[in-house]
Amino acid sequence: MIYFDNSATTVVSSEAAQTALRYMTQDFYNPAAAYSPAVAVERDVNSARARLASAFRAEPSELIFTSGGTESNNIALSGTLAPMREKCRIITTAVEHPSVYEPILALKSRGWDVVVLGVDTAGRVDAKELENALTENTGYVSIMHVNNEVGSVNDIDGLYRIVKAKAPNAVFHSDGVQAFMKLSPVKCDMYSFSGHKLHAPKGVGGLFVRKGVRFAGGQLGGGQENNLRSGTTNVPGIMALDTACTQYANNREANLQKMRAVKQRLYNDLSRLRDVRLNGPSVEEGVPYILNMSFLGVRGEVLLHSLMDKGLLVSTGSACAARHRGKNRILTAMGITGERQDGAIRFSFCPGNTAAEADAAAQMIEESLLVLRRFRRR
Amino acid sequence: MERVILVRYTEIHLKGLNRPFFEQKLIENIRISLRGISCKVERKQGRIYVTGVAEDRFDEAIDRLKHVFGVYSISPALAVEKDWNCVCETAFSLMEKQVAEDPGLSFKVFARRSDKNYFMNSDQINRELGHEVLERFPSVHVDIHKPKVSLCVEIREKAYVYAEEIPCAKGMPVGTAGRAMLLISGGIDSPVAGYMMAKRGLFLSAVHFYSYPYTSERARDKVVELARLVSAYSGPIRLHLVPFTDIQMLIYDACPEKETTVIMRRLMMEIAERIAVSDGAKALITGEALGQVASQTLESLCVTDDAVSMPVFRPLIGFDKDDIMDYARRIGTYETSILPYEDCCTVFVPKHPVTRPVVEDIRASEAAVDFSELIEKAIENTEHIVVHPGDAKLI
Repeated sequence: MIYFDNSATTVVSSEAAQTALRYMTQDFYNPAAAYSPAVAVERDVNSARARLASAFRAEPSELIFTSGGTESNNIALSGTLAPMREKCRIITTAVEHPSVYEPILALKSRGWDVVVLGVDTAGRVDAKELENALTENTGYVSIMHVNNEVGSVNDIDGLYRIVKAKAPNAVFHSDGVQAFMKLSPVKCDMYSFSGHKLHAPKGVGGLFVRKGVRFAGGQLGGGQENNLRSGTTNVPGIMALDTACTQYANNREANLQKMRAVKQRLYNDLSRLRDVRLNGPSVEEGVPYILNMSFLGVRGEVLLHSLMDKGLLVSTGSACAARHRGKNRILTAMGITGERQDGAIRFSFCPGNTAAEADAAAQMIEESLLVLRRFRRR
Repeated sequence: MERVILVRYTEIHLKGLNRPFFEQKLIENIRISLRGISCKVERKQGRIYVTGVAEDRFDEAIDRLKHVFGVYSISPALAVEKDWNCVCETAFSLMEKQVAEDPGLSFKVFARRSDKNYFMNSDQINRELGHEVLERFPSVHVDIHKPKVSLCVEIREKAYVYAEEIPCAKGMPVGTAGRAMLLISGGIDSPVAGYMMAKRGLFLSAVHFYSYPYTSERARDKVVELARLVSAYSGPIRLHLVPFTDIQMLIYDACPEKETTVIMRRLMMEIAERIAVSDGAKALITGEALGQVASQTLESLCVTDDAVSMPVFRPLIGFDKDDIMDYARRIGTYETSILPYEDCCTVFVPKHPVTRPVVEDIRASEAAVDFSELIEKAIENTEHIVVHPGDAKLI
């Protein structure tokens, strides 16, 4: 089975799984306990925190462990707004992940001043449009680093400068779930990431909160994570995350190189087919691990099932939106509609994928299209 | 004092010599629906009594009984000794709750007496108990035409006192009308059609056509889940899952494009009928409503009917889509029906299906292609499962 759905989730690396197992079955102690085996576990967690923070050029105290991307995105917003006395302007984009987009929409219906920025055909935010939307009372800006459906990259450093120049009090958050460890660290006030996109287990992730940002934190309770996110420390998850990230960091360039080769190969193979369109940024501009293409005349879901039968796993878009009927919000915002939207498939890669898999995948797609296009609506 | 549930039933009264059969079936179905709750179900003088239900499962038992077809209404009642003081005190305890909510309420006493040796007749009980209630709760008044509360007393081997009547599913006991085969798609309409026919006393079997691998595993789970939801009313459903892809492919390759939908439906009916015969079903059920889509025009329905010799029941034929959706919400299938998975009818659809097919033309197009081998193969590869209301929820 060829797995080209690594933006949905990745296989846990055996080293990360070993680490998790060790912290479940041997060093299983609650790091908040007073006896020495627990203190040893606490030290391990602190070392992991230090390593992960330095990978993002941050202080250990700036990293809060969470259950993953959704929680990080949710508490970044709620923990920033909680101390505010008055309703402010909130700026986001039309292509954010639902865990950013939905909470902001909910605030809009409760009377907050929400501005949703559009994107260009490649899925990127326009700096000028952001600049025009910024006002003195803008309190929160959330712009994703890498788009999860088409792989476009926003220039977070540049956008951050614009925000700080026009609305110095605004908190700038970026959803880095599809970028963390893969792209270089960026400057922003808050940054979310998730472990399971990097060969760590599901249920662990983090939120960077830069020193000086007023942040009330997330769930309340026993005061863990510097009293910003209570709950018994997920030691196996955090330690496995550390292992997976260390592996990624040690091979970053080689990993990107491998994925770029697979993406380029698949793109070249598919470009030869009839009625195929690339969605989002050009192959070079997009991240090396996401490729979104439309196969005109077939429905994405039907093609997906046909490919699954042949041994290729892909998706029609974000798994987080797979249960919702209707239009794809992200592609619509990019101006991709109708037949082209219906036929869109996302391929996402990990360093374990190979060029041979790309060739085999392209072959399967060609065969499926041959069958399915016989039944296209004439 | 004991809490009992008094069960009233519907049209069974109209049945002549068959009445014991209908009553027996209803009691059987009530027992099945209460499986797992220890209790006694017995019939006495035109009523069914459920007794011995543990206090902590009483509400659950009432909930389950609401779903049993053939039950007109139920009343949670208190069974007490026939001693007059005891009857009055029990009546007061029931009235107390109602009066606390609405001190100025109207009521009437409605007594029945099958124990003709009781020291008062029904009319006397009405008047005496009415008087006692008025003395005890001076704020209430009597209205014998439109009372808010009907305080009912039945003097039998014990006295049964109740003030509440809960309307139930009505219809006929499932199984009294035989078995029919429902064509279930995964949409909104077919579960409602199945519900309606089960309500008229039919056992349900169901057949679903799927286009593996072009439809999702979840589309299959969705249909199993819909059958499970309907089975809460109809009892266990025998579900037959027919692989239909090869037939669809052949239709699209070999038949005129605009006729593909109607030919597909004819073949579905034909296969459904074949499976129905081996399953002991004597009719087919579909969720079609006249004019809803191209395949549901009068001409299309005639052409699909032409493919089979069994009667085809279409209980939704005169319903608007809105009304069907309301019905689906009421029986609890709507939320599952709208889950967005491709099904076999949406994968291969022509843009402009014929809306007024002529039966001779369609027969000719169909006869030009040999479907027999693929039909045999589909029937052979059909998966048979039984869906019970207590099965785990799939999606």
